[in-house]
Amino acid sequence: MSSQHKDKADINVHIDSVVNKLKRRQISGSYTVAIETCQLLMRVISASRWNHPDQLIDIIAQVGKKLVQAQPREFSSGNIVRRVLSLIRDEMNDDNDVNNGNGGNNNNNNNSNYINNSVNNENQAMISSMFALLTTNENKKNTVSNQQNLQQQKSQVSSASAQLKKNTHTQDFRSIIIQGIKELIDEISSISENIETMSVDLIHDNEVLLTPTPGSKTVFNFLAKARLKRKFTVLVTECFPNETEEAHKFAKKLAAHKIDTVVIPDSTVFAVMSRVGKVIVGARSVFANGGCVTSSGVAAVCECAKEYKTPVFVVAGLYKLSPLYPFDRDSLVEVGNSGKVMEWEDSQLVGNCEVTNPLFDYVVPENIDIYITNVGGFSPSFIYRIVLDNYKAEDVNLE
Amino acid sequence: MAPKNKKQKEIVQDERLQAIVLTDSYETKFMPLTSVEPRCLLPLCNVPLIEYTLEFLAKAGVDEVYLMCCSHADKVQTYIDGSKWNQAGSPFKINTIMSLESRSVGDAMRDLDNRGLITGDFLLVSGDVVTNIQFDEVLSAHRQRRLIDKDHIVTMVLTQASPLHRTRSQSVPSTFILDKKTDRCLYYQDIPSINGLKASISVDPDLLEDVDEFVIRNDLIDCHVDICSPLVPVIFQENFDYQYLRRDFVRGTLSSDLLKKTIYAYITNEDYAARVESWQTYDAISQDILERWCYPIAPDSNLLEDQSYTYESKHIYKEKDIRLSQSCKIGSCVVIGSNSFIGDASQVENSVIGRNCQIGTNVIIKNSYIWDNSIIKDNCQIEHSIVASNSVINQNVKLNSGSVIGFNVVIGDNVIVAENTRIVERPVKHLSDSSYIGDSLSSDDEFYQDIQAKRAAEEKENIVEVDEGAVNDPAIVGENGIGFAYDSESEYGDYDDDEVSSSSKHYHGLVYKLDELYLSDTSIVSSMPNRRKKRRTYSSASHATATDAEHDYNNNTDGEEDDEEDFNKEAIATVERAMENNHDLDTALLELNTLRMSMNVTYHDVRLATCTALLQRIEHFINTQTLGVKDSVHKIFGKWGQLFKRQVFEDEEQVDLLNILESLCSKLPNNNGPTIFTLALNDLYDNDILDEVNILKWWNQEGYAGKDENTRKVASKWIEWLAEAEEESDGSAEE
Repeated sequence: MSSQHKDKADINVHIDSVVNKLKRRQISGSYTVAIETCQLLMRVISASRWNHPDQLIDIIAQVGKKLVQAQPREFSSGNIVRRVLSLIRDEMNDDNDVNNGNGGNNNNNNNSNYINNSVNNENQAMISSMFALLTTNENKKNTVSNQQNLQQQKSQVSSASAQLKKNTHTQDFRSIIIQGIKELIDEISSISENIETMSVDLIHDNEVLLTPTPGSKTVFNFLAKARLKRKFTVLVTECFPNETEEAHKFAKKLAAHKIDTVVIPDSTVFAVMSRVGKVIVGARSVFANGGCVTSSGVAAVCECAKEYKTPVFVVAGLYKLSPLYPFDRDSLVEVGNSGKVMEWEDSQLVGNCEVTNPLFDYVVPENIDIYITNVGGFSPSFIYRIVLDNYKAEDVNLE
Repeated sequence: MAPKNKKQKEIVQDERLQAIVLTDSYETKFMPLTSVEPRCLLPLCNVPLIEYTLEFLAKAGVDEVYLMCCSHADKVQTYIDGSKWNQAGSPFKINTIMSLESRSVGDAMRDLDNRGLITGDFLLVSGDVVTNIQFDEVLSAHRQRRLIDKDHIVTMVLTQASPLHRTRSQSVPSTFILDKKTDRCLYYQDIPSINGLKASISVDPDLLEDVDEFVIRNDLIDCHVDICSPLVPVIFQENFDYQYLRRDFVRGTLSSDLLKKTIYAYITNEDYAARVESWQTYDAISQDILERWCYPIAPDSNLLEDQSYTYESKHIYKEKDIRLSQSCKIGSCVVIGSNSFIGDASQVENSVIGRNCQIGTNVIIKNSYIWDNSIIKDNCQIEHSIVASNSVINQNVKLNSGSVIGFNVVIGDNVIVAENTRIVERPVKHLSDSSYIGDSLSSDDEFYQDIQAKRAAEEKENIVEVDEGAVNDPAIVGENGIGFAYDSESEYGDYDDDEVSSSSKHYHGLVYKLDELYLSDTSIVSSMPNRRKKRRTYSSASHATATDAEHDYNNNTDGEEDDEEDFNKEAIATVERAMENNHDLDTALLELNTLRMSMNVTYHDVRLATCTALLQRIEHFINTQTLGVKDSVHKIFGKWGQLFKRQVFEDEEQVDLLNILESLCSKLPNNNGPTIFTLALNDLYDNDILDEVNILKWWNQEGYAGKDENTRKVASKWIEWLAEAEEESDGSAEE
């Protein structure tokens, strides 16, 4: 028992230190946060003691809640936690099916089925298969379950597992989930590759592109890959005040890849928009309604694009997809350091004027034409489907 | 963790980064609240001050933290024991050091040296720093300089601001002279303030000898974040008289010829760093945090585990479970803690409201800080005030600017609290003659009571409301109120010899006044015309550079007028003291001379001051009828006239002395002037301070405006006698 206690204490220490690092912004940026979350969850799962997957779900949900609270406007930690929860639930259902002998079609189920959906409704199944056509995923095995079904199974499971008490089974379960998380990490770190493959089809020769998010690695990789086969010009907005330095670095990097690059002030976006072929935006997080949160200033760019009917492409990894709906805009937009906007030294102004420096912008779904993700391109109105595919409804609220 | 992998090759040192936190400021600026709570636990935006410092240390990647505790050490210890920093997940090891005996930063450093805890370069911070600085950059800058300059012992972190910045300390404004290229600190000085007016700085040209270009900067915020080498505590140990980190240590080290150590500054203008060292900075830093100048440190970063602040536009921060009436108005920059209630038609702006506060209807709260569990009833108006925890403000009360309501105080109905009033629950006793300058009166309760009992008798004379809580002060807190006015003046009485403390009276605890100070130049012009002139000089000087020391002298002359005024007062006081206590003549002369040199004034001023003092004394004797005119003059000038022996050297100076004496005597009341003058003249002549030749020269000089007919009439007889005597002596010499 003492070693158990020690394990538990150790893992709590680890959770606390990650939470504190998140709070201090020592871990920041959706990619880093996502990877850290995966690694933390792996440790939690291997260290914690549980007799039934339900308990594990509780444990993970608790950790997730802490992580979300630590950086409430960084959605990727919550997304990863929900992905893992959905993974566990899928696995539970499979087990159920095996235990109860009514899920024969899932026996050779492969762990990567988290991308796939579990629905038994006919219409939904059809959509799901259409979705599968668009995706690069080969695995088309559908698990059969729905909400009611799940409830029944839950009660069956609890009674069944209480009787069976299979330690080896728990061990198996544990390793399956950890394997699943490892694959999730692989998916996150190879997102660019999947997105890049689409870039050649989307970008034409001699096209003028505009990107208002120079901080995004995905956007950079997307463009760099396209350059291998196409020749085009990229306009980079300066993104005052928060990302100006990054914009300049980004332009240099693009130029190093022999892409014609022009840095333009934020104010000229409307003026140049008539000549722009496509606007490429990197998203911070994408919501179930098809809207997304990106760097400040992008909403205005998208409005301009709409005025000129210029297509707006949003590139984002699947892990940025959040099952939440953006009801409260205030809770989405982080407000940053006022000192970036105005010199704090200026004693005449400080205290006599109000300064606000929002770091993010919310872009409404109407202003976005297509989302390019690692599982394919979707219209904003289709995003809710992908949300349903990847998350379970009962995990949306991590309470 | 970042600093660990930086430049480890060259510097063979302990890898652990240690930090020393001085939880006590050894000052009394936050009295009377610090008589109840330690200063580092006072809430700033509803978070204890120390949390901001520890958060900074955690971010800086510090491995070990030592808290030097003095006043209320037990409370600090209890707090830390129960905090997240003491738990397993804490990023550093935290230790509290009970240094109850220390009375100054110097004492704490010496204590530290005695304990032998320091193993390598360490971070010295005070427990009231609020900063978001990128510390790894500072540390690597420090280490790089260390490689170039082996004598480098301290890096001070300074923030670029402007001379009149609200967050800059106005009570201890500091001037740094830095080498322009390397940021090496050449000289440091608190600008000596005289009655709240800024004066000058004077620099020894030797210090600037081998410097190409230097800058004099009066626009920096000194947040007391220093990276020190292990030598620093040792230097404190060797110089047992060092009290202050800046005034004594930095100055001493820089001006010492023997030590040959260097101190560098690290100036940041992107990051935020400031220190809560007075009510003024408390106010300013609170506003800075709310306006997100210190991002990511903001209320919604929820530094305490149980906090749940969320941000709303216009810089409004709300915790869970607050209740706001539908018709209340929440303006910009407001923090509201959980379980608080704000009633109908109340207005709140630029304020911080703690947890469990009840605010009634029609209340107006502006630029104020309401701490936890306070109750404010209907129709109150609170502006630029601080209401500490558990206090009750009854209906229709008006708190005027600068009020500080202490813990557990109750203010009765319809009371109007005057500006800058500080109210405490129980009268605070002053250990007036002890040299103690800690934050609280005593760290040890028993000791405190003991002292209290002993002093009860004496104190009855000094403080009217001595009875513990039995009699309240209805004039201040109303009929059903609980509380006493806190007499801050007596507090300052302790430090008459301390320039800075006495001048800080003007800045002290007066949230509102300071507000005025930093909000506009014009208000300064109207209230203190002199200051603006000085400020200007310095703000321009702060950016000016000079290539040689000459420039520096030019700067100095600006301050001289102020110096003289100040010198006069000081010198007169010195002479009076000497006469009263019957000091040695040499002692008095030494004191005067030191004063003359430190203020850089001429002998003329010394003479003027001495004459004034002597004549005042004589007048005192005459007025109290202790002695007659003749006796008193003889007594004073007979003995103390000797002072002039070392103030008068040249012939012209003798004439000057006579001129001074004449003009002063003519101003004396009761027509005694001429008589006193003649008698004094006689005494000075007898004591060989004045030569006949020079007296005659004075007598015969023409065109001197200060001639006083009455004096001349009376003195003429004596002059005649003198002239005759001279002729006689001349004659006898011829024979």
